[in-house]
Amino acid sequence: MSDRLRLDQAAKILLGVWMAGIVVAMFLVVPQYVGLGDAGRIIILHVPTAWITTVAFAVSAVYSIRYLWKRRAADDAGAVAAAEAGFLFCTLATVSGMWFANIVWGTPWNWDPRETTILILLLIYAAYFALRSALDDLERRRRLSAVYNLFAAVTMPFLLFVAPRMAESTLHPNCAFIQGSHCDGIWLELNGTRVGQLGDVVLALQGVEQRGDLAVAQVEVRMPGLQNVAVLAPTFELMSGKPADRPEFPGQQFLLAIEEVDLAKGRVLLNMEAPGSGLLSNSRTFWTFMAANIGFLGLFIWLYRLRADVLLLQDRLARREVAYEPSV
Amino acid sequence: MDQHVSSRSTVEASAPAAAPGAPLLAAAWAVFRKDVRSELRTRYALNAILLFAVSTVVAMSLGMGPLTVSRNADLPIIQAALLWVAILFAAFTGLARAFVQEEEARTAAALRLSTRPTAVFLGKLLFNLALLLLLVVVTTVLFIIMLRVQVGNPGLLAALLLAGSLGLVAATTLIAAIIARASVKGALFAVLSFPLLAPLLVVAIQGSANAIAGRGWESGVGSLQVLAGYTIALFTASLFLFNSVWEP
Repeated sequence: MSDRLRLDQAAKILLGVWMAGIVVAMFLVVPQYVGLGDAGRIIILHVPTAWITTVAFAVSAVYSIRYLWKRRAADDAGAVAAAEAGFLFCTLATVSGMWFANIVWGTPWNWDPRETTILILLLIYAAYFALRSALDDLERRRRLSAVYNLFAAVTMPFLLFVAPRMAESTLHPNCAFIQGSHCDGIWLELNGTRVGQLGDVVLALQGVEQRGDLAVAQVEVRMPGLQNVAVLAPTFELMSGKPADRPEFPGQQFLLAIEEVDLAKGRVLLNMEAPGSGLLSNSRTFWTFMAANIGFLGLFIWLYRLRADVLLLQDRLARREVAYEPSV
Repeated sequence: MDQHVSSRSTVEASAPAAAPGAPLLAAAWAVFRKDVRSELRTRYALNAILLFAVSTVVAMSLGMGPLTVSRNADLPIIQAALLWVAILFAAFTGLARAFVQEEEARTAAALRLSTRPTAVFLGKLLFNLALLLLLVVVTTVLFIIMLRVQVGNPGLLAALLLAGSLGLVAATTLIAAIIARASVKGALFAVLSFPLLAPLLVVAIQGSANAIAGRGWESGVGSLQVLAGYTIALFTASLFLFNSVWEP
């Protein structure tokens, strides 16, 4: 027993040092991300917390299954503790994401698929706690909240499937952000569809012409809410078939690029690109990010197990009080 | 099991068709008929749900007047969202009734003795579905008349409303059974149901907007498929989980 305690103590100290190291590395080891500045460092905090949120939800569901199967108080304590820790990480991920989005994308909330999913997850956790507080009988509280937890887990796949259909495009890192991944882009034509949307930006093609071995397009860009309207002129190297000049969207740190051009028909394939190089392709960022994932996972396990022990202890104390009460 | 045998005589007197040995569907049908009969005596859920729906639609109509396409290009999606919000909130007021009433009248124990859990669940599900379909028909007709909605593809809208109702009932019946045992029933029902209904709502509103805008059936097939999958998944999960909820 004392050996286990000593091991626990050592693990706790190691975890503390590890997390402190990550916080330091986040600012000193990770290089500044070109175009995003210091805001890019949030990847070390934001992505692991978001990922732990889903892990917590799954852990809680597994404990709920075990509770309904074996009806042990320890399993219920595990389910609650995992849900509580998950709620904490969920809030952290949401707030840090909104903060970052406000700086970089100019709006804290965009009904981006991941934003939708995490908001609904937050609501499910809140509903789970509300249900628990409304059930007085201990056994019934455990049983019914386990049922609700599992029932909510059944709807999650639909949410993951439906959420991407809500917005036409996403600002989240699956397409414009990480190098190597690819947005589809849109074709605009002078003699056809001249107006289109990339994300929530409206683009209108005004002209394409050849200047030397460059193709130059005139594109009117309207930002969401018509906050900014500008005419950008991205260019394309006809010889090498690569985008040349990528102007920045007004008020946002994204770039507009021509990916293909057909001068004869006046057709242009326009796409949105994140500035700078890929964030995780930098090895220092990559390893700090991986270390942060491990650290946050450890933090989650420590938190929920501690909370589960406390819950069990409370339960035992309450039962002892009942046992000592003089019978009426 | 012994309780079943000993209580058989009293049970048979109150609900003859729902004897413990009756086949599942017959027992479920008996529970449904019992619920319909007791609802027709008080008309509590019926009145609450229909008046709520009427007030919502009248309030929208009063506030906005008839909307015209010339005033707003996004009209179909706005109308579809308003229609589903009206249906959703009316459903929140009435669909918990089937189980809450059993607890309040203290008849749940008798029902537990009379038939098996699955029959109770199926009977209540059927009752909720009947109630919701009535609500959907009344709300939609009123909505179309009062807000002067021009529905381009009525068949698709009807199919989506039916599929959406099935999903709504599949998701809320188990939750109604859960909250019937809790201390604050009304508010909790909406709080627990809403996050689970979010995917259904998004799909149903988008599909209905297509139907109102008059797009063809191919624009709604995806929505109908998702709604069908959602209904089947939640119905199956409910069947598995209901036994745990229905324990005394």
